[in-house]
Amino acid sequence: MELIDKLSILADAAKYDASCASSGAPNRSSRGKAGLGASSGMGICHSFTPDGRCVSLLKVLLTNFCLYDCQYCINRRSSNIPRARFTPEEVVRLTLSFYRRNTISGLFLSSGIIRSSDYTMEQLIQVARLLRETHQFRGYIHLKAIPEADPKLLEEAGRYADRLSANIELPTLASLKTLAPEKELGTIHSAMGQIRQGIDAANDAATQDAKQPPRSANPKRLAPRYAPGGQSTQMIVGADATDDRTILQSAEQLYRDFRLKRVYYSAFSPIPERPAGLPQAAPPLLREHRLYQADFLIRGYGFAAAELLGKPGNLELEIDPKLAWALTHRDTFPVDLNRAEPALIARVPGIGLRSVQRLVELRRQRKIRFQDLIALRCRVETLRPFVVTQDYRPADGQRDSARLRQQLTAPQPAQMALW
Amino acid sequence: MTPAPSAGAMPWVVPAADFGQWRDAARRLLQAGVPPAAVVWEDTRESQGDLFADTTAGAIRLPEPSVAPAPVRIGREDLALLERASRYRSGDGEQNRWALLYRVMWRLHHGERDATHPADSDGRVLHQRRHAVKREAHHMHAFLRFYRDATDGDEADARGSQDAPGGESLHGRADCLGRKDDRDRENDLGVEESQASFIAWFEPAHDVLDLGAEHFADRLGGNPFLIATPRNGVAWDGQHLDYRTPCPPAWTARARAAQAAGEDSEHALWRTYFVSTFNPARLNHRVMTQHMPQRFWRHLSEGDLIPALEARARHGGRRLAQEASVGERKGKTLPPSRR
Repeated sequence: MELIDKLSILADAAKYDASCASSGAPNRSSRGKAGLGASSGMGICHSFTPDGRCVSLLKVLLTNFCLYDCQYCINRRSSNIPRARFTPEEVVRLTLSFYRRNTISGLFLSSGIIRSSDYTMEQLIQVARLLRETHQFRGYIHLKAIPEADPKLLEEAGRYADRLSANIELPTLASLKTLAPEKELGTIHSAMGQIRQGIDAANDAATQDAKQPPRSANPKRLAPRYAPGGQSTQMIVGADATDDRTILQSAEQLYRDFRLKRVYYSAFSPIPERPAGLPQAAPPLLREHRLYQADFLIRGYGFAAAELLGKPGNLELEIDPKLAWALTHRDTFPVDLNRAEPALIARVPGIGLRSVQRLVELRRQRKIRFQDLIALRCRVETLRPFVVTQDYRPADGQRDSARLRQQLTAPQPAQMALW
Repeated sequence: MTPAPSAGAMPWVVPAADFGQWRDAARRLLQAGVPPAAVVWEDTRESQGDLFADTTAGAIRLPEPSVAPAPVRIGREDLALLERASRYRSGDGEQNRWALLYRVMWRLHHGERDATHPADSDGRVLHQRRHAVKREAHHMHAFLRFYRDATDGDEADARGSQDAPGGESLHGRADCLGRKDDRDRENDLGVEESQASFIAWFEPAHDVLDLGAEHFADRLGGNPFLIATPRNGVAWDGQHLDYRTPCPPAWTARARAAQAAGEDSEHALWRTYFVSTFNPARLNHRVMTQHMPQRFWRHLSEGDLIPALEARARHGGRRLAQEASVGERKGKTLPPSRR
């Protein structure tokens, strides 16, 4: 099979992984050095496909042959799809060629499970090793961690990769049993635990080095890096009956236990030869979007999952989770922007983290006026009932939440899939 | 010392082509106490080739430096903000960059510390401009495309003539070009290309060429490259960056030719990747154009695929996430595992 045909099949097979981030890598440059590639911590989206998703990395499977029969997966062994396999050299060649033309910032390599977990993991590592050692490639590498693989292999993978990820896919034991009989939540968690240990150990060693730098400036003598871009995972949304509350609680637990950098939510997209029991509907994009918003509130704004969804069920589709929380916590508002703690200002719907920072800077110089919120481009219509400034106090403050909600939802254009 | 012009007197007419020139002039004017209203700033970077252009030729008339000038102080962050904002190319009806910067400097110098805060009327414009510049630099990092430089002496070009214009299938160019490569050449390409030269044409909306060039020097290391833009150009020989204003016509011609001919067959592989990684079930035009404005499409090798992919997704392709041409290939189920 020609390279271009393999690429067509194995890129198609890899698109179900939502992540395409190239961020979080350390600063690397190829100036004055042999080899190719740089990274700066900030990701670059080199293109956008018409689904609005960023193309940052060459995201392919090494092969879509697979021993597993996960029902939600297009590459499951019982699926009647074209199959292909790259040699490690072919993936290297595509990565370097695309990189030089500036169409990607690196590689995200995953694979179907062939022969054994160890063998599959070794193949992924081989590609990374060729890139890093033979070609001195300094761009971004994201490798999929095969959970059942030997811990020594995960250790080695982390030496080459900027990011490792093991996908949860389904957050409950019951769903995994029905839909992915060969997967086990326990092994996925232990792989994540191991990756966390590797990252922690590398960070400790780096801190040690910073305090007492080794005598030689040879970078090889410095603490080896281990997956400096951290680890991530993915959960599929809408393939089974799992509700948002369970998904968000799992995510919160993953952030806490394994210090994941990101949890990705992937709305289940219909696949050919759909097994019985899986939806044929369009992917629930708005639900996915609300989950990302809630995830962001948990990671950046100090919300707990239980605050956002106190009872079983899904996030509201009609309003965003921050506004939903504010409407059920009217006693917290209005917030006086000239006095409140920054953490509380961050809970005001319509005020983002950057604006919080700017408001705090501004109030050191003078009192905040309502006009400032307009100048800072906060969502003024949304925040109006929730804030007090030097020259403003909401008249709507006394209105009941149901009416307020009606008022706030009526004219707002639906905001979908923002990232 | 020349006195500052009083009200009604002739204003100071000061041309500046770059941030350094502006800063030198602004320092002298501030030290002489010349208020913003008494200065007419000429943007000689904006008005290249226009009737103001020859004002740079003669000596610039500025107040004489005083014997013991009061120092002009500005915080590092504010200075960085002014420098970045100065790269913004004003559109019709927008303020002249140097006049805005001088007014802010004047206000800072007179104790108005919030002149650079985003809630201030001037500060807001500065932050918006800095943001637009940062975004444009990012666009350049993202959407600039390199092609093998045909004048590099490599044979990577001859196959361009086989391009079927406006191919029937989405893969048009991919099919007829990519398959010409024999496998050995493909596998060797990474090594073979480690010395190759690359060339790009880019049309930045603001003055970000140097920000892009530094970035690409980090990325490409030993690979020489050349970037041509409508105003200026830069060449990297693996060690030094060589800036030219205006861009030499020969560079422009080479860059535009390399892109137009589509003679770099590697872009055919990229086009194939773009088609396959797209998920038609998630079609979302608004988000795509928000992140990748249409003005960039015509310079992307995948740009012409976008409307075709969208049209096909709207007409039924949306049912599945799988790319249609992959679904048409012969499939294969696998036996249960023997483990």
